[in-house]
Amino acid sequence: MTIEEQIREIVARITHVDESIITRESTFKEIKADSLDIVQALVAVEEAFDIEIPDEEAQKFQNFGDFISYVENHVGQKEKA
Amino acid sequence: MSLEGKLALVTGSGRGIGRAVALKLASQGADIIVNFFRRRDAAEQTAKDVEALGVKAEVIRANVGDPAKIDEMFDTIGNNFGHLDILINNAASGVGRAVMDLDVKAWEWTMNINARAVLLCAQRAAKLMEGRGGKIISISSLGSFLVLPTYTIVGVSKAAVEALTRYLAIELAPKGICVNAVAASAVETEALKFYIKEQLMPDTRQATPAGRMVIPEDMANVVAFLCSEEAFMIRGQTIIVDGGTSVGLLTLVGKGAG
Repeated sequence: MTIEEQIREIVARITHVDESIITRESTFKEIKADSLDIVQALVAVEEAFDIEIPDEEAQKFQNFGDFISYVENHVGQKEKA
Repeated sequence: MSLEGKLALVTGSGRGIGRAVALKLASQGADIIVNFFRRRDAAEQTAKDVEALGVKAEVIRANVGDPAKIDEMFDTIGNNFGHLDILINNAASGVGRAVMDLDVKAWEWTMNINARAVLLCAQRAAKLMEGRGGKIISISSLGSFLVLPTYTIVGVSKAAVEALTRYLAIELAPKGICVNAVAASAVETEALKFYIKEQLMPDTRQATPAGRMVIPEDMANVVAFLCSEEAFMIRGQTIIVDGGTSVGLLTLVGKGAG
């Protein structure tokens, strides 16, 4: 399973939406996620990939594409380190 | 009031009240374990400032809403230090919603972090205090007995904290552990600025009888006193630090609270 697929699965589970509606272009607002959903999704993704996503970075995400790219870059960094 | 040689865990001590408590206890000689969840940079800054006071600091990340993470944190403390003298339950979160908008998820998130964590941390801390005694202080708020706008779950969680404080105080007394809580009115922190900006809370900054808002250091001073031997006979109490707000409520009508 790719990082993108795992993130979509986690977000869908937390926000109770169908995975198919989450694309790289969608936003948390579009899938009707509230602030608690967002925090829980961040925490679940952090735990799944053993990384930390600082709040100030998360606030910069415009859509799931940004979220996924951030995780892809940081998981990669950790493996290289 | 010296805490020299003591080891204190302060949950959520990257910012706000937790940070002020960590620095106050450090200034009295205690080594500090700085726990954080979301802001590593803030926690590392607290640790740096603690060390500048001439004591040791260790940073541990743990979401206290997750029992497994609490266990991991206390396993680390047990392995690295073998004991603990002071536990400050400060970490808190909450979902600001009207009663009719509350759901199970918001309830569990808030109660797990604010109330269940106090029990689980106290249980693990008490084992590390075995044979040496200790202090357990939890941070509460006026919302435990006063109604604040959109504060329901947090208020309920704080009522649970205060009730738990009484039970822990009695059951842990034979182990030489003093358990108390400190409750604040709105404290001038980043969290409060956010609440006022988002209009989730009225701006009562001008309406405190003492003439100014409670600041984190006011809380830290009382917490430090409760950690001292001078407070040995205070058990299971919640000390209110609010500059007179709660007892002067009726005098505040029309003074910025609306």
